[in-house]
Amino acid sequence: MSIQEQYRKRAAELLASGEVKIIIGYGAGSTPDRRRALFIRSAEDAGLLQVDQACDANLSGYLVSEGLLSDRKKVGIFLRPEGIRSVNILAAESQLDPLQIVILGFSDENGSLTPLQGSSVSDFSALISTLKERRSTPEEQELVEKIEGMTPEERFAFWQAEFAKCIKCYACRQVCPMCYCKRCIVDNNQPQWVQTSSHTLGNFEWNLVRAFHLSGRCVECGGCDRACPVNIPLRLINRRMAQEVLEAFDYFSGMSHTQEPVLASFKKDDPETFIL
Amino acid sequence: MTKILLRDRLDDCITRWHAAGFEVIGPVSKNNISQFAAIEKADELDLGAILPGRTLKDLFFPQTEPMFRYRIGKQQIDTEEYLPPERQRIVFGARPCDASAMAIDDPLFGWDYKDSYWFRRRNETVIVTIACTAADEFCMCTSLKLAPDSTLGSDILLRPLEGNRGWLVEELSQRGSEALSRIEALLEKEAAKPLPPADVPVKFDLEACREWLQNPENFESHFWKEISMRCIGCGTCTFLCPTCHCFDFQDEGDTYTGIRRKNWDSCSFALFTMHTSGHNPRSTQSARWRQRIMHKFNYFPGKFSLNSCSGCGRCTRECPVDMGITETLQEITKLSK
Repeated sequence: MSIQEQYRKRAAELLASGEVKIIIGYGAGSTPDRRRALFIRSAEDAGLLQVDQACDANLSGYLVSEGLLSDRKKVGIFLRPEGIRSVNILAAESQLDPLQIVILGFSDENGSLTPLQGSSVSDFSALISTLKERRSTPEEQELVEKIEGMTPEERFAFWQAEFAKCIKCYACRQVCPMCYCKRCIVDNNQPQWVQTSSHTLGNFEWNLVRAFHLSGRCVECGGCDRACPVNIPLRLINRRMAQEVLEAFDYFSGMSHTQEPVLASFKKDDPETFIL
Repeated sequence: MTKILLRDRLDDCITRWHAAGFEVIGPVSKNNISQFAAIEKADELDLGAILPGRTLKDLFFPQTEPMFRYRIGKQQIDTEEYLPPERQRIVFGARPCDASAMAIDDPLFGWDYKDSYWFRRRNETVIVTIACTAADEFCMCTSLKLAPDSTLGSDILLRPLEGNRGWLVEELSQRGSEALSRIEALLEKEAAKPLPPADVPVKFDLEACREWLQNPENFESHFWKEISMRCIGCGTCTFLCPTCHCFDFQDEGDTYTGIRRKNWDSCSFALFTMHTSGHNPRSTQSARWRQRIMHKFNYFPGKFSLNSCSGCGRCTRECPVDMGITETLQEITKLSK
């Protein structure tokens, strides 16, 4: 049985038995190579679910949609390993109760899709530990090294040119499971904390604020990068911050639903290299 | 006999237009995005794309622009107004949907108050449009009763000739004729047959949609919740829409001195309709998506007899969650049958 058939069957069972009230998965998109989020509530619709390599969106952000989990009922959701890490963080940050989440996990192993064993976040701890050790693809590494190899001036010029394209559509924020604030700092307008204008200063302010807020929280699902309509390589910024956090605190985000948020916790042996 | 502009004469045309005081602007691909920018040479142009990533509206209604500088004194408030420079411009290589969008927005910006920021730029700009001979799966101009060779909003229409050798020239306006007069000597006269316009299938029934949208019973339809369930509420569709024109004012500075700016705003944002009290009349994403569709295909045509959409398809092409006008109007077409 293909992974798609397998998961359609599982989704139908979950809905038919009443174990979950809704399944958040992927359906066909507007073109053959696109997949889009699909919300199904009855077993008959399970045949609409698609599970293949084109299913690249991290759907975990939909879990914190207003009112979805407030009735305490369970929700089924299709997630890649990064998405499972997102659920761990959302749980650790008290945004959801992990017991309400039934995971239909899958991972992409060298071009072929594999179902992941388990359905509760804690079932995937061993898998997530292995991810810490192999973080990037060679292509990503090449780009990272290119940017790391720049002088500070060159690097600043690189990001200035990239941020100049920003149109402040906030697609990066809206698509990000970690950006669940009811009112983002940039939407606080009494007073206006961060300038909304998309001029150089405003664009730097926005993108740097977001980078800091995602440090130690981003799971590098690449959602912001894919969402950006003006193709700013946003993934690189968050990857750099994740690297910093890993090196400074040996912290890999989303390991478990009880992992303390790195920048909101304190340990006596935390490095204090910033104190001169 | 028809007028022909040969591609290898384009550099000479640009030189003559520059000499006549025009700034020449066209679609340029740089840093992984194509947008309209000033050019010196023809080889800077990216004319091969179906559409530039960014729209033509950037040139008439920039995403952020200063309106005036203010200084609040003890007795008085001093202001210094900024207006865009009245500089003659030629936009070479717009697409018919983008050019149409400018004509669609003209009545809006000139309705009760004539927006000088818009019209100063409009009046000084010649739009040279290239008819489309190719389309992608997101193009939908024909569904909006426009076409891949629409002349709406253009001053000159160029129809591509075979073999990439140039374009057949159609003069459409006085402004267009004036711009052509500067390059008259560079044009050929021959009986050439241009390539046929792209085949763009009709995707929805516009009249049926309008009728459905006008029916008050459908305003509270469950349809709006279903169709917008995956909408994440970003501004991609509005900011990359050539006709979306909403803006916000922001004062940047301190209590006594600063600059008032006009910035793009989006009806997709929760903050767009947020009252000072905290009450939000459009408190859900479905209400916001409904507003966007209603505005474009019901309210705007009701007022100006034009749809606020030219069918460029960027809303679907660029949507991070694969939504867009096409899907919604296709579904409404089904509902109205």
